[in-house]
Amino acid sequence: MRKTIKAAALLGVAALTLAACSSGGGGGASSPSASGGSTAPSPTSTEPITLTMHWWGDQEAPGAKKWLDAAITAYQTAHPNITIKETLETTDGLIPNFEAAAAAKTPLDIQYFWGGIYAQQPHWAGNTAAISDFLPADELAHYTNAQMEDSYQGKIVSAPWYVNPSFPVLVNKDLLSKNGLTVPTTWTDFLKTCDTLSAKGIPTIAGGVKDGWFGGWLYSILGAQSVTSQKQVLDAVVGNAKFTDPALGDWWTRLEESQKHKCWNSDINSQELYQAQQMFVDQKAAMTVTAGPDAPNFATKAGGPDKIEVMAMPAWSNGPLAGKIASSSQTLGIPSWSEHKAEAADFIKFLHSADQLQAWYDITGSLPADDRFDLTQVTDPIKKSLFAGGTDNVPYMENFIPAQLDSDAVFKNVQLVLKGSETGAAAAADMQAQMERLRTTDRELVTNFTNWASGQ
Amino acid sequence: MTDATMTTTRGPAPSGGRRSSRRPGPWHAALWIAPAAIAIVFVFAYAIYQLVVQSFKYKGAWTGWDNFRIVLTDPLFLTALKHNMELLLCVPVLIAIALLLAIVLSETIRGHTFFRGVLFFPYILPVTVVGVVLGQLLTLNGPVNTALNGVGLGKLAADWLGDPNIALWTMGAVIVWKEVGFGIVLFLARILSLPTETYEAAALDGAGFWRKHWSITLPQMTGVIAFYAVTEAIVMVSWVFNYVYIMTNGQGGPGDSTVVTELYIYRMAFQNQQIELAAAAAVILFLITLLLVVIFFRLQRKSLLAVVGE
Repeated sequence: MRKTIKAAALLGVAALTLAACSSGGGGGASSPSASGGSTAPSPTSTEPITLTMHWWGDQEAPGAKKWLDAAITAYQTAHPNITIKETLETTDGLIPNFEAAAAAKTPLDIQYFWGGIYAQQPHWAGNTAAISDFLPADELAHYTNAQMEDSYQGKIVSAPWYVNPSFPVLVNKDLLSKNGLTVPTTWTDFLKTCDTLSAKGIPTIAGGVKDGWFGGWLYSILGAQSVTSQKQVLDAVVGNAKFTDPALGDWWTRLEESQKHKCWNSDINSQELYQAQQMFVDQKAAMTVTAGPDAPNFATKAGGPDKIEVMAMPAWSNGPLAGKIASSSQTLGIPSWSEHKAEAADFIKFLHSADQLQAWYDITGSLPADDRFDLTQVTDPIKKSLFAGGTDNVPYMENFIPAQLDSDAVFKNVQLVLKGSETGAAAAADMQAQMERLRTTDRELVTNFTNWASGQ
Repeated sequence: MTDATMTTTRGPAPSGGRRSSRRPGPWHAALWIAPAAIAIVFVFAYAIYQLVVQSFKYKGAWTGWDNFRIVLTDPLFLTALKHNMELLLCVPVLIAIALLLAIVLSETIRGHTFFRGVLFFPYILPVTVVGVVLGQLLTLNGPVNTALNGVGLGKLAADWLGDPNIALWTMGAVIVWKEVGFGIVLFLARILSLPTETYEAAALDGAGFWRKHWSITLPQMTGVIAFYAVTEAIVMVSWVFNYVYIMTNGQGGPGDSTVVTELYIYRMAFQNQQIELAAAAAVILFLITLLLVVIFFRLQRKSLLAVVGE
């Protein structure tokens, strides 16, 4: 009986949640542009206000929480009537929890979004207000990647916060030289390195795809090499090109090659993304891929600039984006149901003040998403290399495909190819099939992506 | 105990014999269950109604069976449903293991309390704990494979959760390990309530362990076995989300190898923002579960009638 009650309770909770989503789904039906405007008092109001902020914490930028706490204190001192409460989200919970909050209209004023599609889709669903409705264009013009990733129909949907150079490969030069190898810069050299190291039982590159996310990284650092721009990817999304076309699908074959040459740690399918990177720190793998903001810390932990080199994924193509580190900005958005949009926008603007930009760099060692930050002060070779990539306007391709395609096709097929259960060609075909199906199940996808592509 | 002694031990009859002779009308029962009924209607009925309505709409507009057509032709949904059906194969395994252990425990004299506790322990552990711990133990280079290699059974080592060919069965094994305790307690309680005279007579006739339990214990346990089977079937169809979510980080991977219907609904609703498709899938899952619940109540009724008949 207890089990029946549990089952009934599960169904009840699921039904309630979905019912809540249905009744609260009006936001989904509203047009993005309708979310603009605010009836909230101006930031100069003295009325007591509490802003609620959900964000991702230190996960890829260690020190971010310390910096944000200090920034909140400073802002609250300057605005005594405003209190800012922050809640940390996990990687797996970031999107679902926002969706749940949107469905239930939970009080929320500032939400962390990854850039590109992850900031666009909530806006298309009517769940975020355009930040450009609250911040002037001359302010937003300084925000790195705002135009490339976060613009939609002439508006900026979410405010870039910090840059994520995406994604650098860290190389342990010492480990390579001990095995008679040098840093590989071409794909052929990379595969030769894999052959040599795998014969000695050393994984060339450490990764974990159990949680899927690394699959998206691999798509970007391998898949971007043969395309000319994000427009080409957006064309494939709306049906004007195919993910099986050589420029869009050949990277799967390269991935398959890396599996056949035993480049990866054998347990890549049972390791999570961040878990597997530890192998590199422990000197058990020659290379790994990390989040850009975390790369300097990671390199320090693994031995510092003398031992560690930061580079782009070895090039397998002659495409214009091959051998380059892409740039993406993590962002802060304003939920459409927030009652304090103007105050939220003012706080976001405050985070871009000169003092805060400097403090961000001093504490996290990563690049704030603002071209007013003085780059000349950066002398560390690893940071210089990363920041050059971060300001190079190279698009990060994972941010230009539907999030569902990412999880249903990229995450899934990367796992299968790296396990040796599927060929690269089959993976490309499945990605195309998933995309075709998605165009029928997501009935507004083509319109939204076409609109987005028109601004690129 | 005779009726006479029962009357004696019950003490004096309540005053107002005239009142006890009057049977309360149907309104009386309705009044008593009204608060609970209102709560149930408020919590479940309205929500289910909304869910069903939502499953026929898209962005507020009526779309008929469109959402169901999309869901029922989605290879991922069909794969998820197939996985739920495959997990149903764990039910006979659960019954067999629980029954065997319950019988062994019923025969155990020394340390039976300890063993009962040990076998029931996994059942009371939170699924999150089980998922995280076993997820770590079962990695390719994790303790389980290390131990197998250490004792010369390296050939049995596998990428338990990383190999798409075996990941679902690994998940099934974890669910069996976690759920078997419930069956043991259930079966043991029934075995201990069986009359001992039959066993004594069988022993005098020379019946051995297997003969005794095959011919005496099993026939008397059909009711409770059926109850357990249906309950666990409901678990396999609509209560495995936690295991899959925790052990695969919400991916249902590798590939789609461990995607189940609940995960499909969750991903549609909260990752893909396709609430209407999630609602349609939830309605389908609800109907399947409802079918199992009907079977469950029928079996429970049959079992109760059998007990009353005894």
